[in-house]
Amino acid sequence: MITHELIERIEGEAVLDFQTDKSGRVQEAAIRFLHFRGIEAILEGRNALDSLVIAPRVCGICGHSHLIAAVRMLESLYENAGYPVTLTPKAHALREITLSCELIQNHIKWLYLVMLHESGKLLGEEPPVALKALYVTSQVNQLCALFSGQWPHSSYALPGGVTCDPTHIEVMQALKILSEVERFIEDEVLGCGTELFESHMKNDTLGTLKGDFGTLLRNFERLELLDSGKSHGRFLVLGNERIAMAFDVRSNAQPDLVSEDASQTFENGGKTYAKNALYNGEFYEGGPLARALVQERAGISDLYRIHGDSAVTRLCARVEEMVLLCAQVRQLLTSLDLSQRSFIPPASIETISGSGIGIVEAPRGSLIHKARIEKGRIMEYSIITPTQWNLGNGPSDNPGTAQKAMIGVESIAKASLIFRTFDVCSVCTTH
Amino acid sequence: MPSNPAKLKVIWLQGITCNGNTHSFLNDPALGTLLETIEFIHHPLLPCQKTLKDLVKKVPKSDVLIFEGAYSAPFERAGVEMRTLLPALAHKAKHIISMGSCASFGGIFKENDPEHISGIVFDKENGSGPLKAMQEKVITLSGCPAHPKWLSFVIDMISAGREILVDEFRRPKELYAYLVHNGCLRNEYFEWKVDSERFGTKEGCLFYAQGCQGPYTHGSCNKILWNDVSSKTRSGTPCVGCTEPAFPKRDLFTTKTYMSIPSEMPLGIPKRSYLALAGAAKSFHIKRLEERLIDDHA
Repeated sequence: MITHELIERIEGEAVLDFQTDKSGRVQEAAIRFLHFRGIEAILEGRNALDSLVIAPRVCGICGHSHLIAAVRMLESLYENAGYPVTLTPKAHALREITLSCELIQNHIKWLYLVMLHESGKLLGEEPPVALKALYVTSQVNQLCALFSGQWPHSSYALPGGVTCDPTHIEVMQALKILSEVERFIEDEVLGCGTELFESHMKNDTLGTLKGDFGTLLRNFERLELLDSGKSHGRFLVLGNERIAMAFDVRSNAQPDLVSEDASQTFENGGKTYAKNALYNGEFYEGGPLARALVQERAGISDLYRIHGDSAVTRLCARVEEMVLLCAQVRQLLTSLDLSQRSFIPPASIETISGSGIGIVEAPRGSLIHKARIEKGRIMEYSIITPTQWNLGNGPSDNPGTAQKAMIGVESIAKASLIFRTFDVCSVCTTH
Repeated sequence: MPSNPAKLKVIWLQGITCNGNTHSFLNDPALGTLLETIEFIHHPLLPCQKTLKDLVKKVPKSDVLIFEGAYSAPFERAGVEMRTLLPALAHKAKHIISMGSCASFGGIFKENDPEHISGIVFDKENGSGPLKAMQEKVITLSGCPAHPKWLSFVIDMISAGREILVDEFRRPKELYAYLVHNGCLRNEYFEWKVDSERFGTKEGCLFYAQGCQGPYTHGSCNKILWNDVSSKTRSGTPCVGCTEPAFPKRDLFTTKTYMSIPSEMPLGIPKRSYLALAGAAKSFHIKRLEERLIDDHA
């Protein structure tokens, strides 16, 4: 039987076309995204620096990641053209801080607005608006805005650094906000300190967590989904580390092995241009689970050894990343040297021709911006987003990462919940 | 005991969008208080009564319809084209809020198909959008994105039954009579024509060389700060003019000049007056404005 299911609350919508057997178990699932905006075409012909304003508008929840990908693309363009751009450690750290803030707020929204809500609904329990979570995400975004000016849609990073020139006032304010966020994660999300959380991962006792993440895991347990959702077991991080991992074998990832494939794209009257992103011709999973595994972070690696890339490991990776990122932001804030320059002007963009590539680890995985520029004008612009990796749509004999994770799940409602564990973003996919 | 007044019933519908206004809205720290006065019949992210599928099945009445994203007639939500869905919801709404620059003027996504994409009342500055005939009940909140407090202000005014004074684009004057330039911490540099020579410093005005649109752009970004703490210009980023129908302009990080004078005058300033004033201001060298504000960071 074939069922078309409209999936909402995923930064836009998608349609899943399920093929089920007599008992309702999922045999095949195809993923269709419905819309197209055309950001790449909008960028072409413009001044290359305009990408810093236009590109963030790909996505309202990870626009800052697009900003950083665009600025890194421009810096690589300068480098390739023989004009290396120097960033001070301060400028670099400020970008890392604001980028991390975007990931943290994303993960909190995913946990409360999407996963707790949808898993509760499936159990017949609809939780109210998660105001405490939204309050804390507004604080995380405030921390980001202390340096970036605003969130969403700031354009404060430029080739050569950042536009802000913060003082200790902003740093002290940021540290206070960070303390509140850390307290929220310990008291509300985990229900315990981060060391105890670590040992729960190690001992596979996460189900006893008292916080809201414990509730989510128990929801998954009640739905008998904790060990569902296994995919190919191939992981990719193209950001700072560039590591690919397949069948536990790690290798240095080469960006030139990345390809896009439009053969499985649903293009019905121009409604979607969602393409597959492939690495070495195959589907790879990106995102927090991939990042934790290729960095060999203890807790998630322990869970992976026991449960593989199933729902429990994937859910936990996103939560564990919140904890890790808070610690990194604290470290960056306390070691900022404000006497360094924020910005070192590069050569005028009008003098620069060539190609550039910028890669960022965005909330959902590796984000790539590529462009060809002539005398500061954009000739071609190409974006590959994280959800293209995870939600690529393959044929039935070679399913994409999320597709594979849904096959075998006992009902389409449950398969749809597994789909959401990938933190789906429709607007990014259909840029 | 006074009875609780009925909550305003609100529908939030998305056209061609990046969800930026949705996430901007979630940044209002007073969201909990706002949700005591409104309830969402439909919202793309928050828990609400009706899914999109329910919404298109039987079009409900609402007190406020919030539309985010640009309009295109054949664009679909839950399989229903906007040319059908938007007017149906709009007819049954008492008030309509055009949330963000895409919904207001077409915004960034209009650039991909300028012929067929527009705002709901305005197409750039022309009043030729699909809801033109009912523009009297539309409030425009342009901005990419619109500030969450601008939205809660309009909702509060509707709840209180107060009249909202609007400008030619139906933007509330209380929010858009200001320029982004007003309240900018660099105003003194603007007045004395002291250029910010490069990005990444607290000093100097971004208008003369770095493309700042603050003196042309209606918006209270430097009065009602972003995320309660900052704004583009306060973080040293030039204003990109995102509340105006002309957004997005081109060459956003450079100022077009003619004989080293900005080729576009600050809003409402005659060229002759500007030139006289600029000449006089430039002849002063004010030592204080030529120095760093804080010499030693450490």
